[in-house]
Formats: sequence, structure tokens, C-alpha cells
Amino acid sequence: MKDMNVININHITKDYGNHRGVFDLSFQVKEGEVLGFLGPNGAGKTTTIRQLLGFIKPDSGSVSILGKDCFQKADEIQRKLGYLPGEIAFIDSMRGWEFIRFIADMKGMKDLSRAKELMEQFELNPNGKIKKMSKGMKQKIGIICAFMQNPKILILDEPTSGLDPLMQNRFVDLILEEKKRGKTILMSSHIFEEIEKTCDRAAIIREGSLVAVDSMEKLCQGRTKKMEIAFAEESMATEFMRNYAAKHKQNSQKQGYDLGQQGNKVILTVGNNIDQVVKAAAQFTIKDINVHTQSLEEFFLHFYGKHENLEREKLSESIDVESDVQAGKGGVR
Amino acid sequence: MNLTLYKKEWKSNWILWVIFAAVLTVYACMIVAMFDPKMGDSLKMMADSMPEIFAAFGMADVGQTLLEFISGYLYGILLTAFPAVYIILLSNKLVARYIDNGSMAYLLAVPEKRTKMIRTQVIYSITSLLALQIYIVAVLLIYSQIMFSGELEITAFLRINVGLFGLWMMIGGICFFFSSVFNDTKWASGCSTAFVVYAILVQMISQVGDKFENIKYATPMTLFQVDGLAAGDGSAWVGCLVMYLIGIVFYVTAVQVFARRDLPL
Ligand SMILES: Nc1ncnc2c1ncn2[C@@H]1O[C@H](COP(=O)(O)OP(=O)(O)OP(=O)(O)O)[C@@H](O)[C@H]1O
Ligand SMILES: [Mg+2]
Repeated sequence: MKDMNVININHITKDYGNHRGVFDLSFQVKEGEVLGFLGPNGAGKTTTIRQLLGFIKPDSGSVSILGKDCFQKADEIQRKLGYLPGEIAFIDSMRGWEFIRFIADMKGMKDLSRAKELMEQFELNPNGKIKKMSKGMKQKIGIICAFMQNPKILILDEPTSGLDPLMQNRFVDLILEEKKRGKTILMSSHIFEEIEKTCDRAAIIREGSLVAVDSMEKLCQGRTKKMEIAFAEESMATEFMRNYAAKHKQNSQKQGYDLGQQGNKVILTVGNNIDQVVKAAAQFTIKDINVHTQSLEEFFLHFYGKHENLEREKLSESIDVESDVQAGKGGVR
Repeated sequence: MNLTLYKKEWKSNWILWVIFAAVLTVYACMIVAMFDPKMGDSLKMMADSMPEIFAAFGMADVGQTLLEFISGYLYGILLTAFPAVYIILLSNKLVARYIDNGSMAYLLAVPEKRTKMIRTQVIYSITSLLALQIYIVAVLLIYSQIMFSGELEITAFLRINVGLFGLWMMIGGICFFFSSVFNDTKWASGCSTAFVVYAILVQMISQVGDKFENIKYATPMTLFQVDGLAAGDGSAWVGCLVMYLIGIVFYVTAVQVFARRDLPL
């Protein structure tokens, strides 16, 4: 059965009052699938994951993994599950390696070769006291504890928090490697790029309710980039603007799409028309191109109701600095 | 029981155990050494000079035999209050600490039932108390044998200790219960401490004079009747049994509550 649902979240509600918690949330993770779980702070990602681990019971609805109830049969599910908690908390006073061995013993594992492999992969020296380790080192220990038993299913709550960019890439590689081995993975994140690189589908949650769950391709369709093209001369920019406005009228009038000229510079929002935009611009001499990748907040804009757009736009302006930094990483320079 | 967890608990808590065992050893040996059948009783003289304080600690009218001496000066307060502190610290560490700092997530993310994990902590709590009890009995027996060979009535002494362990079980169960039901170490240790302070304070007040004698019914410490156990009284045995029962009920309830509750991990 290829399409079997390994993780099944069925209309769960966990109400903490004041609109906090999760509300009537449903989605599934199929066998061999990597599903990203995105949402801003306090959206309810961890609350959902806690229910999957059987730490808390839903007020209503049901959660099951491999057809087993997550609260009642937590022990049976755990045989096949690797879990990385969102908040790093270890048993203080233990040394890193001691802790890994302790968890391995608790899981009834004999073979620690995978743990050693992972330690090399993440360049972790586990000999120090955990209390004195940096945040990233602790996160690596958590990752090793989740992956070392080679589980069929992985539930990871913000797995890359605290990792530096190099290690984040290593982590992406690890996920892709595990995916090839047919693992079923649910991972929450704030970073769209990381989800984009690894996941087949993503579920987006906000204020405890599901906003969208769809394949990455579908979700990315709505994704836009802000492009800043500097031409050699101002006349070129004017010319480009004229052509573009004529061809892409509907686009420039779409909500949330900018188009404007500042001297020899054109600033515009591109979506799936990127190919045409680049080709049209290539007819002129280009001095520089900047691409600002959308931040998660801007991306969410696409899914939020229209009435909130204004408020959201203000927000995304204030975090423009951040998206500039991201553009430096992922965009064309 | 999960052996890995059980061993881990011994490994990380043995220092606490040793500290309390050491303190109790010092007190036990000191008291035994002060017993002097020939030359009048120096503690007795002190007691006569400040009768209220000694009465509060249950040390009024301590008899003349070694057994009466030990049970008066040690079992009245020292062997109840000090172990109670140990119990508060230990219970808090065994459950609430893991929930509070989130590391319980790791203990539960293993293929074992929650009840099994918490039962392991219960077993650790009881066995570590039992080890302390056996140790202190051994110290007292050996030391009195060395100092005053043949002086101690051993069966009566052991009866008192069966009762003492019942008292520890009762306090242990109650503190463990608080540790298992709260998310916060503050609440867990707060309630445990409040309970112990209340129980011991009321006991002390009730011993000061006849005026307050009746409030002894307001503290569970009264269930531990040292003299009654030494004599083998039926009512003392009932009190002892009740203490064991209270302890077991609280331990069992703690396990049940913990297995069903939401954990903020
Ligand atoms: N035990 C609890 N009691 C009361 N409120 C809670 C509890 N646990 C979570 N909440 C609330 O539920 C909401 C969702 O929290 P949750 O931790 O699931 O968010 P999240 O999506 O994981 O956020 P983040 O990205 O910051 O990790 C928050 O507003 C939080 O304050
Ligand atoms: Mg979270």
C-alpha cells in the first residue's frame, strides 16, 4: 500500500483559552513522505506534535500513528518513532556521550554505530558536560538521539533551531538521505527554504487552524520574489517598464504585486512569470540584479484573508532587513 | 520497572543519599555514645533545665534503658524530620524536575508505557528509603553492640523501626504524589514542604503541654507511636498499618494520575 497514512490527525481540538491551542485540525502524512509543518510563533505546531507523542490528549478528535491511538499506544508507536523535542532540555549534569548512551539503553538499542556516524556528520564532540554545551551542540545531541535508532517515522520540532548555516545544510542532506530510505517524516519549521528543499508537502497553520496543506509545487506557485533590476541607463528602465506594463497588465494589477521605477532601477514583484521578466530585461544592458526572497511572513500573506493584508504588509516592511539578508544567501547577486 | 532508569537514578542521586546517611550516622552515634548507665544522664540534666523545648522534640521523660534512651532522643524527632527533608528533595527530583525542565520528553519518548516509567520512580523512591532505613538500623545495632554489648532489646528496637519505615513511606507517598501532579517544581516542593512542616510543627506543639495535647489528632505523625511499638501494643500496630496504607494509596494514586494527565513537554 503506497498511499497509506502513517500519521493521521483527525479534527483535533486542544483549547487553552484565549484562542490559543489548536482547533479542528486535520491532516495526514503518508508513508514515505516528508511533510513540512509551517506556522508563525504560537501557531500550535508544538501543541500538535505533543499530541502525536501522547504527552497530551486532544479535547476532541483523534490522533493516530500507524493506526494506533497516540495516547493509549504511545509505547508501541515509540518502537518505530524518532522524536526531536522543540525545546532542548536534557538531564543536567550528564555528559553528552553519557546521555546518548542512556537514551540508547532506554530504547533498548545495542548498536551505536549510527550514532557515531551522525556525530561525525555533525562534527559533534560529545565528551563535555551538557550543561556547558552551546545551543547548537545541544541541538545536535537531540538530532542524534532522534535518528540513531534508525526509526521508520520521524517527528522533528524545529530541528534546525540553533544550528549554523553549514550545519543546517548538513541537516537538509540528512533528511534527504532518510527520505531516500523511505522514512516518513513530519518536521515543523519557521524557515520556508528548509522545508522547500526537503519536503514533498507542507501544512501551514496559523492561530491553531490549518490554513493550507498541499504539495510544495502548488504552495510555491503563489510564491513571489521582489526583484530590483538596475539598467545601464534610465531610458532602458523606462523602455522596460513600458513593455512590461503592456505584456503583464494583469500581473501588475494583482494584489500585492509592485511595479515601479527609480531612475535607472526597476523594482517589481515577480511570480511564475519570472522567465518572461528575465528575458525581457535581458534585451537591455543590466548593471545589477537583486532578488529578495520572500520571508515566511510575506509568504503567509498569500494564505491569509484579504482584510489582514494591510496590517501584514506593514509587518513585512519592518522585517525587510531580514529578507535582504536572505536574498544575499539565496538570491542572484 | 525500567532497569536503565533505575540505575540512572542511583547514579545521579547517591550523593544525596550518602549525605543524609552520614548526617544520620553522626546523630545516631552521638546519642548512643551519650547513654551512660552508670554515671547519671547528662542529657536528662539538660532536659530538666529546659523542659518545654525537650518536650516539643518528644524528649521529655526519657527512660533509663538503652532502648528507651534511643527511642526518646532519636525516634522522637531526628529520625522523622531529617529523612523528611531527604524525601522532599528526592521526590521533587524524581518526577517534577523532569517535567519542569522538559527532559521528561526524553524519558517518555521510548518504547515503554508511562506507568512503567513512573513505577520505576516509585520503586526507586521506596528502595532508596528502605536502604536508608536498613543502614541506620545496622549502624545503631552495631554501634550499641560495640558500646554497650547486650544492652539493647533488639526485637523491640526492630518493631520501632518497622513503624519508622511506615512513617517514611507515608511522607514519601504524599511528597511523591505532589511531585507527580504538578508541572512546576515550585508547586511540588512547596506543597511537600508545607505538608511536612505542618505535620511536624503540630506534633511538636501537641507535645509541649496538656493544653494542646488534643491537636495531636490533627497530624499524621501521631500514627507513629514509638513507645507503643516498643511495647508491642495493638493500637500502635494499627497506627503503623495505617501509615503504610496511606503511603501506598498516595504512591498508587500518583502513578494513576501521572499516567493519565497532560504533560507540558
Ligand atoms: N500548557 C499550556 N497551557 C496554556 N497555553 C498553552 C500551553 N501550551 C501551549 N499553549 C499556548 O498555545 C499556543 C500554541 O503554542 P505552540 O507551542 O503549539 O506554538 P508553536 O507553533 O510551536 O510556536 P513556536 O513556533 O513558537 O514554537 C501558544 O499561544 C501557547 O501559549
Ligand atoms: Mg514550537
